Amino acid sequence: MTIPISDMSLAELAAYVSDHLIRNGIDVVLSGGGCVSVYSDNRYESPDLDFIERYRMERKTLAAALDSIGFKPKGRYYVNPATQFFLEFPTGPLAVGSEPVREVAEMEFSTGTLRMLTPTDCVKDRLSHYFHWGDRQGLEQALMVAETFPVDLDELARWSQVEGMRDKFESIKDRFSNDL
Amino acid sequence: MLESLIGSTTCEKALVFLTARQEGYVREIADFFDIASAPLLRQLEKLENGGILYSKSVGRTRVFGFNPRYPFLNELRALLTKVLTFYPDDIRNRLENDRRRPRKKDKPLS
Repeated sequence: MTIPISDMSLAELAAYVSDHLIRNGIDVVLSGGGCVSVYSDNRYESPDLDFIERYRMERKTLAAALDSIGFKPKGRYYVNPATQFFLEFPTGPLAVGSEPVREVAEMEFSTGTLRMLTPTDCVKDRLSHYFHWGDRQGLEQALMVAETFPVDLDELARWSQVEGMRDKFESIKDRFSNDL
Repeated sequence: MLESLIGSTTCEKALVFLTARQEGYVREIADFFDIASAPLLRQLEKLENGGILYSKSVGRTRVFGFNPRYPFLNELRALLTKVLTFYPDDIRNRLENDRRRPRKKDKPLS
């Protein structure tokens, strides 16, 4: 370990955990608000890291791997007293809306390799909150990601159509175009 | 009908109820099928933890419904809709013909 867990940023910790789990045969991908934090350079601050397992492992296998880096189960989360950030492993599958995630992005940090949703899939994930729940924060988070990383607007339009949300996407797509 | 697949008649009843009514709360579902509330709540919470259902608070009542972000929602709904057609007519009619539109307070009923 290059730096202690207590000094790790959210992204560094995510990379550390992701790398550790994958080396232990647990294939996880960072999703959710943690992904937005990493892509937006912490303009959105998430306290938790949502990892989705690509292939569901036994809980005791996951718990043992996390225990070896100091994370203990607390309710549905895993916590480590050295850090304010906590881990969650929501039930899969790894999907954005009704479609499976096909491509996983990788980012290198001094603490390890972080496997996460691509910027375009991260935007889809946030937009699904906006589309289905009317969650304005979801839209704002999607825009933060799109301001920092290139996203595929044609793909967003195609996916929105599949989700039955073409009209909703049409009503907001200019905000993505203007922000790029 | 799906017990051998999903392992619980209570779970099936909860899913069928929500398929027909879109939303429901524990007491409402339990009363409809005349089943115990505690195991029903456990099933609903299990489905919520699995991302299949959501819950929200309406006043002091916890209302459950299908999570629109669940990736297999359309396929699950199609299956449950077919299951519903195999239910006895009286149960199906009571499930599907429940009044959901608002009624003005104090409106005289004919």
